[in-house]
Amino acid sequence: MTAKGKARRTLRLIGIYTASAAVLAWALGPIYWIVVSAISTRSELLSRPYKHWIPWHPTLRNFIDILTVGQQYRAGGSLPTAALLASGLRNTVLVSLSTALIVVVLSTVAGYAFARIRFRAQNFWFFFIMLMMPLPIWATIVSLYYLIAHLGLLDANLGMILIFSTISIPLAVWLMSTFIRDVPREIEEAAVIDGASRRQMLALVMVPLAMPGITSVFLVTFLNTWNSFLLPLIFTNTERSQSITVVLSLFVGQYEVAWEQMAAATVLVMVAPILLALFFQRYLVQGLTTGAVKG
Amino acid sequence: MRRLISRDERFVALALLLPVVLLAFIVYFPAIQTFFVSLTAWDLRLQGSDRFIFLSNYHKLLTDPEFWQVTGRTLVIVAFVLILELGIGFLIALLLNEKFRGRALVRALVILPWMLPPVVNGFLWNWVLNGEYGALNGLLYQLGIIHHYQFWLERPAAQIFWAVIVQTWTRFSFPTIVMLAGLQSIPKGIYEVAAIDGAGPLTRLRALTIPMLLPSITVALTVEFISAFQIFDVVWTLTAGGSAGNVINPFTKTLMIYNYEVVFRDLRLGLGAALAYLILVMSSIAGFLFIKNLYNRAVQR
Repeated sequence: MTAKGKARRTLRLIGIYTASAAVLAWALGPIYWIVVSAISTRSELLSRPYKHWIPWHPTLRNFIDILTVGQQYRAGGSLPTAALLASGLRNTVLVSLSTALIVVVLSTVAGYAFARIRFRAQNFWFFFIMLMMPLPIWATIVSLYYLIAHLGLLDANLGMILIFSTISIPLAVWLMSTFIRDVPREIEEAAVIDGASRRQMLALVMVPLAMPGITSVFLVTFLNTWNSFLLPLIFTNTERSQSITVVLSLFVGQYEVAWEQMAAATVLVMVAPILLALFFQRYLVQGLTTGAVKG
Repeated sequence: MRRLISRDERFVALALLLPVVLLAFIVYFPAIQTFFVSLTAWDLRLQGSDRFIFLSNYHKLLTDPEFWQVTGRTLVIVAFVLILELGIGFLIALLLNEKFRGRALVRALVILPWMLPPVVNGFLWNWVLNGEYGALNGLLYQLGIIHHYQFWLERPAAQIFWAVIVQTWTRFSFPTIVMLAGLQSIPKGIYEVAAIDGAGPLTRLRALTIPMLLPSITVALTVEFISAFQIFDVVWTLTAGGSAGNVINPFTKTLMIYNYEVVFRDLRLGLGAALAYLILVMSSIAGFLFIKNLYNRAVQR
């Protein structure tokens, strides 16, 4: 390689890594700062001018405080911070997991039906399920509130599971039917010759083949439910069913003095999405973009 | 053969039963009912107010200065968010389209803000921008750019500006990923031919890359328009005052926050239902226009 070519290559690499550093600073800067805040001691965090970008005395004290004591920052006038956080986490985990499981089952079966079986009014039913995808659930909100109240499901995890399962169905069915359509037919045809019923074929042949699609649907539904805020804000109002995002938003107005503890609570909410994003990125990105790109 | 078909149809009926019933009861039925509510004067604070008033709520909203102020503010946020998201997304997509060591890592880390709860992102930035202890003050002070700590969220215009930044930060990964997929689907040969024809990098970008990216740009614009138009979570914890405050900051009141206030604070159900339908119509029309215009242009080329 000529000297000129080498110089140009080096220049290109310098450009690329400078740009990458800028991109990462933009994307991760605020996340880094909240993590640093969560493991800093109060005196370091609130020092002015601030220069503890790398905490000198990292500590888990703030996490222990919000999860055990927290009594000096009582929330809602009734429960200590620790109890609210614990119930918030419990509710969010319960609702997100149940919703994701229900949606996976419903969408795999429905997606299989759309992808592999010809039936009467097929397009109508597909349209019926998909119509909601571009429509915001918001347009239903006034009556939905009364419906949920009428069912006795206000401020109940079951009510949240019902709502989130329903609004997750269109995207999930779309993803599953797209995914199953891409699975080669030959394997199923062999199973048909062996006399397998639709149910056996789905459970024994298709589910293993469609596992990547199922994983995608599970993770996307889980994450969307975990991250939601407006619906839990409307449909829940006590620790029985308030999600962790709602609990956190309650702290925001009231406990801004305890920044290091607020930061620790925030990090708790962020851990699950970040871990999922790092370990299952492919499935999440596929699930979150397929509907948009192919649609 | 006939028996096989009927067995299939039973399977289909069972498979679609629950999704269809759930959607009918949780979405379509309340959606229709909400529309009828929007034709009434129903107000929970006024007894006997649930009488039919036809389209008066819509008329009231469309002649109400506050509605237009809130709509205008929302559209300003949307416009800036779209410009920033598309710009940032395009640049990052160009970067990630290059081959270099560590690209997969950058790609993995760049989507993190998108994966976080938007309501958390609002709080995160609220803390970064804090006037007394925030990281932005600390950083700029240390770099000597400012000599006194600033209250970044003090002025109304600044609140809008930061709402735009936080929404952009929350969502820019989606346009990035979509445009990156678009870039990767462009055949490499085209660029070589163009280079031989003497087209410089900028010409190639303008005459080749951007036209071929139009379908991806359409998708990104539509999805991001709807997301920004219905902005709520991010503003709620950034500047709205939070649930605890009980007073909603009027300077960052967007359409969704306005609607939340009308329904759940003021309990004006009829008016709120009409507003919800107006939001639905406005975002549908915008989504439709985007797709139609940009897609047509892409097809014609």
